[in-house]
Amino acid sequence: MRVRNNSARKAGVRPNPTNSPSNRRRTFFTVAMLFAVIGLFLVRLVDIQVVQADSLTADSVGNRSVGQVVYGSRGEIVDTNGVVLAGTVMRYNITMSPVNATPFKRTVDGKKVEISVAEAAAEIGAATGQTGDAILLTISNALEANSKANFAYIAQKVDVDVLRAVQDLQIPWTYSENSPSRVYPNGAVAGNMLGYLSGEGVPQAGLESGEDACLASTNGSETYEKGADGVRIPGSSVTSTEAVDGGDVVTTIDSDLNWFVQQTLAARAQETGAAWATAVVQDAKTGKLLAVADYPSVDPNNVGGTKNPEDRGSRAFTESFEPGSTFKALTAASVLDAGVATLDSGVVAPYRYLPSNGANINDSHSHPDQNMTMTGVLIDSSNTGMSKFGEMLTDQQRYGYMKAFGVGTATETGFPREDGGILHPADEWDNQTSYATMFGQGLTTTALQVSSIYQTIANDGVRMPVQLVEGCRQADGTLTNVPDATGSRVLSESAAKDTSDVLEMVYQKSWVSSKWNIPGYRVAAKTGTAQMPDGNGGYSDGYLVSVSGFAPADDAQYVVSVSIADPVKLNTSAAPAPVFQEIMSQVLKKYRAVPSGATAPDLPSTW
Amino acid sequence: MSDNLARVSVSIGQGSIGREPFETPAPDRHGFRLVAPAPSRRGRPRIFYALTAVAGMAAIIVAQLLLSVGISQGAYEISSLQSSRAELGRTAASVSEDLVRVSSPQSLAANAEGLGMVSNSNPVYLRLSDGAVLGAPASASGSQAGAASLVPNALLTGSTLLSQLPDDVVAPSGAVTITSAPVVPAGLAAPTTR
Repeated sequence: MRVRNNSARKAGVRPNPTNSPSNRRRTFFTVAMLFAVIGLFLVRLVDIQVVQADSLTADSVGNRSVGQVVYGSRGEIVDTNGVVLAGTVMRYNITMSPVNATPFKRTVDGKKVEISVAEAAAEIGAATGQTGDAILLTISNALEANSKANFAYIAQKVDVDVLRAVQDLQIPWTYSENSPSRVYPNGAVAGNMLGYLSGEGVPQAGLESGEDACLASTNGSETYEKGADGVRIPGSSVTSTEAVDGGDVVTTIDSDLNWFVQQTLAARAQETGAAWATAVVQDAKTGKLLAVADYPSVDPNNVGGTKNPEDRGSRAFTESFEPGSTFKALTAASVLDAGVATLDSGVVAPYRYLPSNGANINDSHSHPDQNMTMTGVLIDSSNTGMSKFGEMLTDQQRYGYMKAFGVGTATETGFPREDGGILHPADEWDNQTSYATMFGQGLTTTALQVSSIYQTIANDGVRMPVQLVEGCRQADGTLTNVPDATGSRVLSESAAKDTSDVLEMVYQKSWVSSKWNIPGYRVAAKTGTAQMPDGNGGYSDGYLVSVSGFAPADDAQYVVSVSIADPVKLNTSAAPAPVFQEIMSQVLKKYRAVPSGATAPDLPSTW
Repeated sequence: MSDNLARVSVSIGQGSIGREPFETPAPDRHGFRLVAPAPSRRGRPRIFYALTAVAGMAAIIVAQLLLSVGISQGAYEISSLQSSRAELGRTAASVSEDLVRVSSPQSLAANAEGLGMVSNSNPVYLRLSDGAVLGAPASASGSQAGAASLVPNALLTGSTLLSQLPDDVVAPSGAVTITSAPVVPAGLAAPTTR
């Protein structure tokens, strides 16, 4: 510039006006403005690209990206044959935007028809099973609470048919969202044991709660970018976290058998006016539970249909009671195993027995002194006779046997809140308890524990852990968390055999023998009748009647234990005996047990 | 840079073969020779390169456009296939749910009862070794277990028993209906049971 100016001067041209002070100022001003604007842009650029870069990027992604939950599927609970007892299905919530609930146009047969809100509500109601007015009320309620309400539920957890019916209406202000739900295809079959989930999917009871570590899934999330028309932009899919499906719980239950047992039990419980009842079927050789039935049954699909909350659990696991005479089999087995008496030993059983320690024992009915063997004592279910055999062992010895049989300790099923029953240490027994424990009073057991006692006798004296769950089946098919299945010897083989023979005599000679007769099979069984506590430390006038036994007695395979609480119309063992007969017949038939070949032993009951 | 090399090689040719050198270079002294500038118009015209470059760029742009259109088209296809897969998955889940529901013991028992079947929990065996009949044979009268379902299943609410379905559902129109007794060929004596 200077060069040009110089040359202008040399050429004698009139001074260039650009050289004037005002022009200089103008130039300076322009340059300054230029720099200022550039500086402004620079600052803004740094601000956008560096200072706010992260938040702006996040905003931009947020504007065009869609995040969605990828639901992990909660594992199934299946029975031993793979029948699904509890499964996860997808249900849908129909939602709407109340503030946008306005008339809209729909093309019907090529013509545009205006649909009013009331008409739309009626159409939705027809699809979801509500009235149109109910939906209009939902809209007005939502708008009343918030005049700009943009969200309200029309219907929750509907199935895909309803969802499609609503979607076909093409109402622009209705939407849907996924809502995974739990379904129990077999209804109340094993329902008490399965438990249920809350509406939010939180396990509330039973296996759902106890095996939650196996069943629980983890939801993942997925983010992708979409174009203006909602179509996913190719290659933009970003899976942030993978969803993890839960494992399947494989139970030892046979759902068909469980249904039969529940049905049979419920019929008899209703017939006899019982408060509640349980039945347990156990594999004698493995300790696996084949069926656990509770009356009243709860349908986990409709938990609210069972009014009494206590009926929603499984009393077979959680309710302990004084077992009564079914417990005499344990005392007899202990005496025989210790070798202090044999099947030929005899005692004199009076109606009332007053042992030297001050206890007071009497039988259920008045009778003269009787010369009885162990067999006779069990057939007549004599408390005094049992006391005379039981006192051959010390309290400590009997306590040791009880512990070995699993009394006083919750079984190995791992069922949530399973009751272990009450068994005080022998040195805390008072005089009466010392004798009462010989015939099943002064201690409590669950139906499972009674079943386990008979399983031990049936399985040649080896107690197997009570097993409800085979394990947790992972996605690759492997079973994890398989429970320990190591048995423990409680009785010698000969003591177990002798006890089994005595119980077989009971089956043949008991006063209920005509009610539990299963032709073709040898069966060992014992009845029990025990007073029920009134909840205040005393006894009510209700009885808990039960039958436990196993078959075929010559090669025991199945244990059945039936308990009926307070059957007001028939409060004797005659109430559970036919149930035992029906269930055991069904079990033997179902599993094709070979009818017994050899004849049953014939033991003397008197001497 | 390639231009320079070309000139050097051309000048070597000219210098050594074409005509007498204008000034004798001193290769021994410096290792450089004076070379004549290459004729700039030799070979293809520059406009050709420019056109080639522009055409190449245009081709790339068009190709990229086509590719991106193709990918977008693919995205729409994927989107529609995915939504149809989701719909089919829903249908499959819904149908298998129905299947599991009707296979439940309650449904089977109710349907069997509806068809006039009774359950018999009274096992009777014929032992082949000695012909002994084990158990007391009795006609099935329907045990307690065959009574109305005492084991509820809320999922079956509203479902219809097979026996209560209208006839046209049970036997579709295409089903074969036997209207007359099958014809027995002559000469084959029909066994008569007495």
